Amino acid sequence: MSGLFGTLSIALSSLSVSQEEMAITGNNVANANTPGYSRQVADTAAGDPIAIGSISAGTGVVLQKIESLRDPILEIQLNQATAQNSQLNTALGQLQQLQTQFGSSTSGIGADISDFFNTLQQLSPDPSNLQLRQSVLTAAGNLATDFNTAANNLQTQRGNLDLNVVQSVSAVNTLTSQIAGVDQQIESLKNAGDDPSTLVDTQTNLIRQLSALVNVSVVPTDQGISVTTGNGTTLVSGSQSFALTTESSAGAQHIFSGSHDITGTLTGGSLAAVIQTRDQEIPSLGNSLDQLAAGLANGLNSANTTGTDLNGAPGGNIFAPPPPGGVGAAAALQVSITDPALIAASSDGSSGSNGNLAALAAVATTPLANGQTPIASYSSLVFQIGNATSNTSADADSSNLILQQLQDQRGSVSGVSLDQEASNLIQYQTAYQAAARVVSAVDSLLADAVNLGIDAAQQ
Amino acid sequence: MRVNPNPIPDLLAALNQSQLETQQASLEISSGRSVNQPSDNPTAFAELVENNDQATINNGYLQSIGTVQGQLSTADSTLSSVTSALQQALSLGVEAASGTLSASNQAAITVQLQGIQTQLVSEANTTYEGHYIFAGTATNTTPFVVDNTAPSGVRYVGNTDINQVSAGSGYKLSVNLPGSQLFSATGNDVFLAINNLIAAVQSNSGIGAAVNAVSTASSYLSAQRVFYGNAIDQAQSQTTYLTAAQLQITQQQSALGGADIALAATNLTQSETDTQATLAAISKMTQDNLFDYLK
Repeated sequence: MSGLFGTLSIALSSLSVSQEEMAITGNNVANANTPGYSRQVADTAAGDPIAIGSISAGTGVVLQKIESLRDPILEIQLNQATAQNSQLNTALGQLQQLQTQFGSSTSGIGADISDFFNTLQQLSPDPSNLQLRQSVLTAAGNLATDFNTAANNLQTQRGNLDLNVVQSVSAVNTLTSQIAGVDQQIESLKNAGDDPSTLVDTQTNLIRQLSALVNVSVVPTDQGISVTTGNGTTLVSGSQSFALTTESSAGAQHIFSGSHDITGTLTGGSLAAVIQTRDQEIPSLGNSLDQLAAGLANGLNSANTTGTDLNGAPGGNIFAPPPPGGVGAAAALQVSITDPALIAASSDGSSGSNGNLAALAAVATTPLANGQTPIASYSSLVFQIGNATSNTSADADSSNLILQQLQDQRGSVSGVSLDQEASNLIQYQTAYQAAARVVSAVDSLLADAVNLGIDAAQQ
Repeated sequence: MRVNPNPIPDLLAALNQSQLETQQASLEISSGRSVNQPSDNPTAFAELVENNDQATINNGYLQSIGTVQGQLSTADSTLSSVTSALQQALSLGVEAASGTLSASNQAAITVQLQGIQTQLVSEANTTYEGHYIFAGTATNTTPFVVDNTAPSGVRYVGNTDINQVSAGSGYKLSVNLPGSQLFSATGNDVFLAINNLIAAVQSNSGIGAAVNAVSTASSYLSAQRVFYGNAIDQAQSQTTYLTAAQLQITQQQSALGGADIALAATNLTQSETDTQATLAAISKMTQDNLFDYLK
């Protein structure tokens, strides 16, 4: 349009665009602290020019779209980093808990083993002394109790992890159904030609939370997004989510997608760490303890039977015989004699002989657990758990740094800067004021133009 | 390049880190140990487990050697007393053999010799903390019983077994000699000699030969006693060695896991400074933005 009415409509376009821009600024400022929010910018362009004769005249300003600034590659990297970070920190927490069982070098199972063999050494100069014999039994009892406690604590931790699997799967299912629900809303907005930006932010947030639980890859498809786990199990496809189920199998909760057992295929996130600790670390530690307990019990029982007790009878078992193969030996370890006279110290049948104590003492230097002597075996066990914890701690520290850096990068792309919004506000405000001036000027000119005829007619 | 407009999470992470370092340094100073859990230094921790075992074993040797020394000393002083008694018997025998004594004096010597005989039996049945020390390993039964049908007047009912006690790695001490070897060895039987001397004095014949037999048995006993003297010396020198070894074990424990207090104190100061600096930075950061200047 040309003429004053054309100018008026150009000024009006500026007023409405400035208003929208200020609304966008207001929205950014309001959401400055919203987690996962991507700042929005107005994408304005000059209106299409019209031709008036040989002149090409502008038609004002048009708001083309409101753009949310986000970097899709960064979002993928953040998902992966979140999954790994969650996995490492969860694993670290579990390992530290396991480590506390073996946290002292001067007390615990290792010290109990040393103390037990020391009671045999003290008995040696005076082998028929009932008090010294009782102290051997007491030391054996302490050793058994500490093995029992350690084994029971491992079982308790394992039980808690089992519970954690069920709870985590439930949380995964909640998130996947929410993601699918949001996806449906996004698709319907897109089909209506609207901008689904804020919903995309919500969905990104949900996916980030899901990544903390289980490593996922997100791929946009025609029907929306497809969320799958590392090995290809589909969790969300478009607006449909596929729930995972848990089922107890051989005393542990396994995760199923339909009828497929996917427990061992999860690669990242806290769920993977929980499963790894439950199915690998804890059984490995438990097995080492069992081998040590069984080795000690069998070795000492066998040595006792080669001697004679204080009553002149052949020696029997000191400990209850461990289960076959040593499975569960640590939890079951128990001293089976209460009468100190039954320790077979004698090698010649007389009450004052200490000859068989040498056989009992020799168990301390016999390889009886994983090819190692008792103390060496315990020391290896402690080293394993300490080393695993130390390595995981270092990995978790560097993962924390990586995650932080990625979040900084995301902030630099999508974060709301109040300074920037304030300066934008000044710009938009000034533009609005200027456009309002244009309207005033046109208004007064129009009044003059309307009155032109009257003045001419009056003259 | 646009910077991340929200630096607070980074600052909080830095604050957390410096607070963690403060805690670690404080723990090291207060516990006196730099290795408080296996993950602090897995290799050192594993070595500390072995070190603790070594310390227990070493102390165990020292303690049991102490017990053994008690047994050995008792045996040694008993044998000393036996030797004195035998010397006294020899004097009496020589006196009786002189041929210058009256019948009543001869009878008096007989009584004294019988007294020495009773004493010898009692000494041979010495106990240490309730157990007979000259009975071999049959320490709950009296080794020498009076038996008038036996030529020596006593019968040995103990055994000939010897107990050994570990006093070091691969090092064992024998801790007893059987009474039969000490007192009633063939050809050197103390009891037989005394019994024969009493009979000789009573019948006033063959006293000279009987005195010689007592002398031979006494010399043999003194030679046997050397075992106890040697064992006592060995126990003593082993104690000295083990005490020095204990010191080394303690030093190793300190080297493996002891705190470097100076370093820990420096770290503590440094991390506290870091904390203060980070807190100041956080407080500065949250203050101004452009909105505050738009009036």
